[in-house]
Amino acid sequence: MKKQYVTLTVNGREYRFSIGDGFGQVPPSETLSQTLRKRLQLTGSKESCSEGACGCCTVLMDGKGVTSCMLLTVECDGRDIVTIEGLEDPEKGLDPLQQAFIDEYAFQCGYCTPGIIMAAKALLLDNPHPSPDEIKEALSGNYCRCISHYTVLRAINRVAGNEEDHTAVMHRANDDVENPIPVREELFPSPYAYGVPGDNALE
Amino acid sequence: MSKFEYRDIKQPHYRHIGNYTPRKDAKDIVTGKAIFLDDFSVPHMLYGKTKRSPYPHAKILSIDTSKAEAYPGVRAVITHKNMPEPWGLGLPVHRLLMEDKVYYVGDVVALIAADTEEIATEAIDLIDVEYEQLEAVYSAEEALKEGAVELYPRFKGNHVDNGIKYFQPDGPWWQIIRGDVKKGFEESKYVAEDKVAFDKMPAPLAPETPCCIAKYEGGNDYTIWASSQSAHILKLMGEGRIPNSNLSVKTFNVGGSYGNKQSLMTTVLSAAMLSKVTKRPVKIVLTKEEQLMSYEVRLGSTITAKIGMDEEGYVRAIEGDWLVDTGAIADSVQGQVGVGLGEAQLVCAKCPNWFMDSHIAVTNKQAAGIVRGYGGQELNSCLERLMCTVMKEGNFNPLDVFKKNYIAPGDRFIWRDGRWWQSRSSLFFPEAMQNAADRFGWGEKWKGWNVPTSVNGTKARGIGMGVIGNADINEDNTEAIVRIVPDLVGSHRASTAIIECDITESGMGTRSNACKVVAEVLNVPVEKVSITEPGTKYNPSNYGLCGSRGTITTGKAVSLAALDCKRQALELGARHFKRSVDQMETKDFMVYVRDTPELSIPMFKLAPKELSIVGYGKHMEMFNIPSCMAIFVEVEVDTETGHTSIVKVAGGTDIGQIIDSKAVEMQLHGGFGSACIDTAIFEECILDPATGRLLTSSLIDYKWRPFNEFPPYDAYIMESQIDSFMFKALGIGEISGAAGASAVLMAISNAIGVDIKDYPATPAVILKALGKA
Ligand code: FES
Ligand code: FES
Repeated sequence: MKKQYVTLTVNGREYRFSIGDGFGQVPPSETLSQTLRKRLQLTGSKESCSEGACGCCTVLMDGKGVTSCMLLTVECDGRDIVTIEGLEDPEKGLDPLQQAFIDEYAFQCGYCTPGIIMAAKALLLDNPHPSPDEIKEALSGNYCRCISHYTVLRAINRVAGNEEDHTAVMHRANDDVENPIPVREELFPSPYAYGVPGDNALE
Repeated sequence: MSKFEYRDIKQPHYRHIGNYTPRKDAKDIVTGKAIFLDDFSVPHMLYGKTKRSPYPHAKILSIDTSKAEAYPGVRAVITHKNMPEPWGLGLPVHRLLMEDKVYYVGDVVALIAADTEEIATEAIDLIDVEYEQLEAVYSAEEALKEGAVELYPRFKGNHVDNGIKYFQPDGPWWQIIRGDVKKGFEESKYVAEDKVAFDKMPAPLAPETPCCIAKYEGGNDYTIWASSQSAHILKLMGEGRIPNSNLSVKTFNVGGSYGNKQSLMTTVLSAAMLSKVTKRPVKIVLTKEEQLMSYEVRLGSTITAKIGMDEEGYVRAIEGDWLVDTGAIADSVQGQVGVGLGEAQLVCAKCPNWFMDSHIAVTNKQAAGIVRGYGGQELNSCLERLMCTVMKEGNFNPLDVFKKNYIAPGDRFIWRDGRWWQSRSSLFFPEAMQNAADRFGWGEKWKGWNVPTSVNGTKARGIGMGVIGNADINEDNTEAIVRIVPDLVGSHRASTAIIECDITESGMGTRSNACKVVAEVLNVPVEKVSITEPGTKYNPSNYGLCGSRGTITTGKAVSLAALDCKRQALELGARHFKRSVDQMETKDFMVYVRDTPELSIPMFKLAPKELSIVGYGKHMEMFNIPSCMAIFVEVEVDTETGHTSIVKVAGGTDIGQIIDSKAVEMQLHGGFGSACIDTAIFEECILDPATGRLLTSSLIDYKWRPFNEFPPYDAYIMESQIDSFMFKALGIGEISGAAGASAVLMAISNAIGVDIKDYPATPAVILKALGKA
């Protein structure tokens, strides 16, 4: 007999959907990504390529990272799904990964970010201390076009307890200059708190 | 007179500027709460889909929409036959949104609005179209030949208008004619002539596909929600296409754009037309395949030129012709050509003799549009390859040549507006190039032209560099209002500052940087400053994020607006305490007497009850502060397989002043994305000449660099306090990778000992050059 219902647990809450083509039902062709984004309004995970190539739609299924655009909802019966919205603990606050992404500024447009965070989470659940190479490998299916890769790796390495990632470094010339001439002594918190003679910005 | 050195520059100490401040939307982004267009919907909304042409050039003989119209859930089907109004496309308008002809694979044949996306998609296949295929042209060179098949009556011989009033107010400008090239070549010791093509029209490929919701509001009014990085540009272009219309444009977080999602004209007009017909809001979200096959890509660029260099390595003469392929729709291409020609003069700023012509052609390919780099990158990719030929002739070290020839304060150039400008930018660009080169190890690694740095079995390493700059970073006008809003409960801590300025967040952090700038001027915590939602209707005017202009132009407008507020607060405070204004100081929404800080009063008590202190600031367009980015790459080429990998990258710039330390670093890293550096190795749109269709229509077929293939990146940044605006910063994002492609080709040529001039240098290209294929 064909199944009539599909039951999913999403971010700790159980949902039971009736399967079929009628209004409000989950058609057998509906992907998990569509169910999450459109039906449950969990729009955090993104859908970019819809063919398993970019990782933007990554969520956790029974603790493993999956691309939700490639799964049919009817095949996920009984599974436990966590989306980016479910990562933050209502009491303890942000997941350490999320905090590290803020501290390291590990995103630009942020479209790829939910998928990358969930892929990284899946890795860390499997192996709390992955090596830098294992981290890169685990993310090799995640597309990011703004090029936040270097800062993402800094953030994940930090959570994984690895040494600081120095793949990218930024050097400020001022660090080389001994005794640069200050605009004024540091008497006041901001030099624009008042003007100095010849400071044409204030004229 | 002693030399003015970098260490002599006065370095300010700021409360916020220069440090890393987490973005205002950081938490929303990492928790999935940030809203992008596809996460948003409007009540009673329909979904739009486009029936697209399978042919590059064809006449529509018949089109039958009856089955699609009868399909349950379909609300409207529009074709060229029943368009409510003839809306045009292009600048100048040269075609309609839909015609009885199609000009590229993916061109719009019919529009469908339906209750769901699935129904609309299914209905596409129910439209029967009979085409008569026409001959097609695929390159500017072919298209401009006599007797070539002509696409549009508006463009005789496929030749697009050279200039356009909008970009060149004094009349079209499309050629650099300066000095006397004949004399210049006579004075040159080394002359080289060559042809280089950057014509695979790669795709910037934002993760979020172009999308919008259009809602016809009756009369001539429309509301457009769009994944655009510049609501203003969308409004400007859209109102020019929909006769007499009034667009209110709203934007959200944009999922990557790289200059590529600005006016979204075809998509927006499609949704607007469906909305006008159905009287309901219509959402169109392109699929990844549609984005790759039919959305805007980089310009095709081919240059044939002769360059002369004197014995010291100064470029003395440039004579050439630049062919630009804009695909099937010419939209803003004249601006890109103008910027490209302008940028060429920044790199060869000491060259007194020029005759550089340009020709723009339409072809039967998907449209080229605006992309980060804006003409400059496409020209640079060719021009710097040509410079290599002449540098090699004279056996110069390219680092010396670029340092010498790059624009310095006082040098003059013609920018894309066709007017002369004189640089008042940094003195220290050569120093930035040198210092970045030193960190990279250029001196030890440079062994001469076409000489590898090292060879290890079949692996040969080579280095290359490129330099580019942009004077657009001050373009277009912008205004902003800052209000110091009183609290209602009487605590000064509850005061806040609000910025009114139309800024979208598309990844550069511009919204947060504006808050940071205002917080610095007012001397308040950044958390106390917020900014209005982006949108054209209720905000002061801001041209938007293009040409790396965000930093300076919004920075200037909001800082002046904040300063205006502050001045008023100081004046009110001075009157209150009976002191002079220069004795007053502000901090955290308090005004106090500097040497007697006990005399202090909350700002809101100084303003009339309930009212805010309001300041106004504006930026006016100018083009006299060029930026500069030098990029160095080391590649390793496997001479057996022809495979190239980048093993090291370094970038150097003088950015004036860093606004946000982490944000600027990522601006530089961004040079790996949006079809920049990798267009020299593997990024390309591959056209099947037999069908005119792209073979690279998915993220699997279109090549991109994954996480495990990023080489070390060493960024070097000087902060010489350039006189751009109050906080002395420049914009850099647009050009961070723009000279990367030519640098990579230089590096590959050095590694394998043979000149490579083909983009991208795939294994096939390299093996062929090595005589192995
Ligand atoms: S949207 Fe699922 S992998 Fe790209
Ligand atoms: S941050 Fe924009 S795509 Fe990754």
